[in-house]
Amino acid sequence: MYSWFGSKNSAMVMGMVLLLLLCSYNAYSVSAETTMHTNNWAVLVCTSRFWFNYRHMANTLSLYRTVKRLGIPDERIILMLADDMACNARNKYPAQVFNNENHRLNLYGDNVEVDYRGYEVTVENFLRVLTGRHQTAVPRSKRLLSDEGSHILLYMTGHGGDEFLKFQDSEELQSHDLADAVKQMKEKRRFKELLIMVDTCQAATLFSQVGVSVVDRFTYYTLAFFEKLNMYDNASLSSLFTSYNPNLLMSNAYYRTDLYQRYLEEAPVTTFFGSVMETIHTDSAYRILSRRNSQKVKMPLQQSVDQGERRPLTNSEVQDQTSDTTKECSSELNVPLHGFFWV
Amino acid sequence: MAETETETETKSVNSRMRQRPIVRLGFLLISQSVIVSVICCTAGVLALLLLPVLAKNTYISENALMPGSASSMLSHQEILEANKLVRDIASLSSKPSGAAVESRGLIAQYMSDLGAEVNYHKFHLRSNQFHPLHFFSGPGSEAIQDNFSCSLYGVNTVGIVRAPHGDGKEAIVLVTPYDSVRGGVGEALSLGIAYSVFSLLTRVTWLAKDIIWLVADSQYGEYAPVTAWLRDYHTPVFGDLGSLNTEMCDENENIFKLKENSIPERNISYTFRRAGTMAAALVLKVAYRNEHFEDTLSIYAEASNGQMPNLDLINIVNYLGVHRQGLHVKVEKLWSLLESKWLRILGEILESLGKLAKSLNPDWKFGISAPDYVEGTATLASSLYYQALGVPTGPHGAFRDYQVDAITLEISPKYSFNNKDRRNDFLLQGGRLIEGVIRSVNNLLEKFHQSFFLYLLTSPGKFVSVGVYMIAFALLVAPLPLVAASLYAESNDLNPALRKDKKPINSDDLGGLLKSWKWLNSAKRVFVVHLWGAIVSLLPYFISHICDCTPTTNFLIWISLSVLILLILHQILGSSYSHVCEIQSQEGEWALLKSVTISSVFIGLSLMSVINFATAEIGALLIVPTSLLAYPLKLDIKTRSLRSFSRMICNLILGVISFPPATFFLLKGVLDGFEGINAGDFWNWVESLWAWNSATYLYIGMVHLPCWVLCVHILLHSC
Repeated sequence: MYSWFGSKNSAMVMGMVLLLLLCSYNAYSVSAETTMHTNNWAVLVCTSRFWFNYRHMANTLSLYRTVKRLGIPDERIILMLADDMACNARNKYPAQVFNNENHRLNLYGDNVEVDYRGYEVTVENFLRVLTGRHQTAVPRSKRLLSDEGSHILLYMTGHGGDEFLKFQDSEELQSHDLADAVKQMKEKRRFKELLIMVDTCQAATLFSQVGVSVVDRFTYYTLAFFEKLNMYDNASLSSLFTSYNPNLLMSNAYYRTDLYQRYLEEAPVTTFFGSVMETIHTDSAYRILSRRNSQKVKMPLQQSVDQGERRPLTNSEVQDQTSDTTKECSSELNVPLHGFFWV
Repeated sequence: MAETETETETKSVNSRMRQRPIVRLGFLLISQSVIVSVICCTAGVLALLLLPVLAKNTYISENALMPGSASSMLSHQEILEANKLVRDIASLSSKPSGAAVESRGLIAQYMSDLGAEVNYHKFHLRSNQFHPLHFFSGPGSEAIQDNFSCSLYGVNTVGIVRAPHGDGKEAIVLVTPYDSVRGGVGEALSLGIAYSVFSLLTRVTWLAKDIIWLVADSQYGEYAPVTAWLRDYHTPVFGDLGSLNTEMCDENENIFKLKENSIPERNISYTFRRAGTMAAALVLKVAYRNEHFEDTLSIYAEASNGQMPNLDLINIVNYLGVHRQGLHVKVEKLWSLLESKWLRILGEILESLGKLAKSLNPDWKFGISAPDYVEGTATLASSLYYQALGVPTGPHGAFRDYQVDAITLEISPKYSFNNKDRRNDFLLQGGRLIEGVIRSVNNLLEKFHQSFFLYLLTSPGKFVSVGVYMIAFALLVAPLPLVAASLYAESNDLNPALRKDKKPINSDDLGGLLKSWKWLNSAKRVFVVHLWGAIVSLLPYFISHICDCTPTTNFLIWISLSVLILLILHQILGSSYSHVCEIQSQEGEWALLKSVTISSVFIGLSLMSVINFATAEIGALLIVPTSLLAYPLKLDIKTRSLRSFSRMICNLILGVISFPPATFFLLKGVLDGFEGINAGDFWNWVESLWAWNSATYLYIGMVHLPCWVLCVHILLHSC
C-alpha cells in the first residue's frame, strides 16, 4: 500500500502544483485498526529565505497559525523557518507578517516558536527530524517524538522543480530522499496517518502594499478555509480539497489518496490540521469499556473502530461522571483527563 | 592558386593516409580559403543585419527585484512640496546675482528640513588631459598629482537618507545635474521630481539601503561634478593629504563661511558624508523636446569603452515606465538610418521570408515587420556606435568606472513646462517612476549580476545578447587565420615539385633554411609598422603640448609628422635586413607580408573584441575585407582580366575608406551631411576619444592604422 514510495514519485513537487499525499500506516503485525490515534504532530517547513520569498514564510506561518488554533500545541509543532522576514529592513510593517493586503491578520502575531531557524533549515536537519536520528545533544523540542498512533501533517513550501524542492539556495531535497524518509518512519512506526502537503507555487501569487508577494494563493485559500472553522466543526478533508477552486488558485491542486484507506468525505480536516481526539465517556474509572458503548462526541466517522476489541487505556486516571460530554481534549497525553478516554 | 593547392594537399593526404579527420578538415579549409573567406565574410555581414530579427524580449532576470509589486506611495502632498521647491528655484534664477549660492543653500535647506543629512562637496575642475601612462589606470589614480585651477570650482549638494532598519552598508544614488547659473525649468523640474521622491523616502520604513541624492553642480558639464564626487567618495583621504588639496585653494573658503552664517541648520555640514557601497545610480534629467505624441522617457546606458549597466536595471525602468506610468520609453537611434531605402527593402524581404516560414510551419515565428526591422536596425546601429565610440553618453558613465550600474533617464513631457496644470501630473508621474525603481533596487540582496552585461539593444524591450552577436564577429574573423595559413603555405611551395624532390637534401642547406625563415623578414616589417602606429598614437599628446593651434593645423602637423616618421623608420629598419633575402624571394614576398599582416589583424581584432566588442565589430567590417583582398596592383594590371580589374577597383575603394580619417569623414558626411565638414573635426574627435580614455583610440592607432598601412604597402608592392 505504500508502494509509491519505492517507485519514482515524479509528481512530488512541481512548479505551480500543490500536492497532497495521504498515507495511512498499517503495520503488518498489528493492524492499523488496532492502533489508536494518540496525538497530532505538525512539521511545517519553509525552505526559502530572502525577502522576495516573503510569501513562503507567510504560507508556513498561515499553516502554523491554523494547526495551533485547531489544537496542536507548540511542542508538537516542528517549525522550520528562515525567519528573516519580520525583521527585514524592507518590511514595511516591522515585526509583522501578513497574508493579505488588508493587514488584518498578523501571522507573526503572538508567540511563534521556531524550532529550526535560519541556516538550520537544511535537508539534513529535515530528514533527521522525520527519521528521528538526532544527535544526543538535540533538545526534545526539536525532535519529532511521534509514535505509532500519531497523525502527522507535513507541510512544505518553497521553490520546487521536477522531483526536487530547493532548500535555501544551497541544497535540494529530492523526492526519493523524502520517500526514503517516510519509509523509515513507517518502519520505525513513527506515524499512523501522514498528510504531506507541498506548496511550491510561484506564479499565482497575491500582491500587496508590502511590496512583495505576501502569500501563495494555495495557502491563502487554505487559510481562508480554515479561518472559518473552529475545532468543533466537522469539515472533511474532501471539503478542503474541493474548496480549491482552480480559477482562484490559478493552478491546480492535486492530491492522491491511493495510500489512504479512509474516505476523504469521512475524514475530518482535524485529523491532520488539528488535534481532536475521540472521547469516550466512561461510567467509572479504571474500567475497561467496550467501544460499542462509547459515546462518540466529536468524530462520528472514526476509521479505526475495532468493535470487538478492548484495550487498556492508561490515560484516564480520575473518574468524573459529571463531565461535560462535549469537552474538548487537545492537550498532551500525560495530563489527566476526567472521565474521557483517548482513542 | 587554390587548385594547385588542392592538388598538393590531396597528394600529401594520400601519402599520409592515417591522418585524423580534424587535420584533414583543416587542410581542406586552408586549401579552399578563398571560398571559405567569401562565404564567411558574407555570412558575417548577413548575421549582423539579421541581429534585429534575432533579438529577444527582455525579461527581469533577478527574482529579488520585483518591480511594480508595491503600489506607489507618492501622494499629492509630496508633489505640492516639490512644486514649491520648483517655484522657489525659478524665482531665484530670475535674480541675476548670487543665484548660485542661494539656490544651493535653498536646496540644502529643503533637504535638511526633511531630516536628511546634507553636505556640500566642493570640487575643482580638472582638464581632461591625455596621459599616455595613465591610459588604462583607474579613475582615482591621478587624483593627487593632478594640477587643477583654483578659480574653476563647483559645489555639489549631497543629501543622504539613512535606512531606518538597514545596516547602512549599501546605498542607491539619485543624481540631478543642476546648473545654478544657467539652469532652466527642466533642471528645476528634475530637482522637483527628485525632491518629491526624497521626501517620501525620509518617511518610509521599508528602506534597506541608504539613499543619496546628489545635486551635481553642472556649470562645467554634467560629467565632471559626478566624477569628482565619486572620486572623493571612493578615495577617503586621511590626515594631511586631505587638507593639501583644500589648502591650495583656500581663498574660496569664505563662500562656505558666508553660508554657514545664513543657514542655522544642524544637519548641513561641509565634511564629506558617505553611505555604503552603491547598488545602483539613476541620473535624472528633464528635457522638453516638443514631441507631441506622449510623455517620453529616454534611457542612456553606454558608459566608457562600451560598458553597459546590467540589463536588469534597464528592464525595471522600462517595465515601470511602460506598464506603470504609461511613458513612451525609447533608447537612442541613428535617425538617418530610419529613412534609408535599402534598409526598408531589406526589412520587407525579411518580413516576407518570415511570413513564408510561418505559412510553412506555424511554429516558426522569426519574422518581424519591416518598420520594426528598420527601427530595430537603427537602434542597434546606434547601440553599436555609442559602444564603439567608448565615450559615455551621460553622467552615468562615471559610475561604471566604479562598477556601479547606472543609467540616465531623461523624461520629456508632452506639454510644455509652462502648462501649470500639467506640471503636477508630470511631477507625480516622474516621481512614481523613480520611486518604483528605487523600491525595486532596494529589494536587491546582492549586486546586479543575474542579467546580461554584454548586450546590444534593438529597442527598450529587446536585446541581442553576447552569445548571438558574437556570431557575426566570429564569422568575419574566421577566414583570417585560414587565409594567413594558406598564403604562408603557398609562398613556401611556389614550386612544389622542387620542394618534393629535394626536401631531405635541402633541409640542412642554408638557402632552404633561409627560405623557411623568410617570414621573419615580413614579421619584422609588420612589427616596425605597428611600432610606428604606437608612436603615431602618442604624437597628439606632444602636439597638444607644443602648440596652441587650431584643430586643423594640429591635424595637419600630426599627419605630416606621422608620414615623416614612417619614412625614417623605413629607411632605418626596413631596408637593413631585407636585401639579404631580396634576391631569393622577391616574388613571394608580398604573399608572406600579407600572411603576417592578416595574422596581426586577427590578433588585434581578437584582443579588441575582448576590450570593446563594438569597436572590434565595426573595425572588422572595415579591415577584414581590406586585408583579405589586398593584392599588388602591379600584378593586377599585368593580368588584365575582368577578375583582376574588379579586384583592383575593390582594393582601391577599400583602401580609401578604411583609412581612419576617410572613414570618419565619410560616416560624418552620411550621417550629418557633407556641408559643414572641417579637417579639424577629426582632430576634435580623436581628442575626445583620448580625453575619455577610450580604447577605440588605441585600437585605431595601434591596430587599424598599421594594418591599413601594410595593406597599402601590399597594394603598391613592387613585385
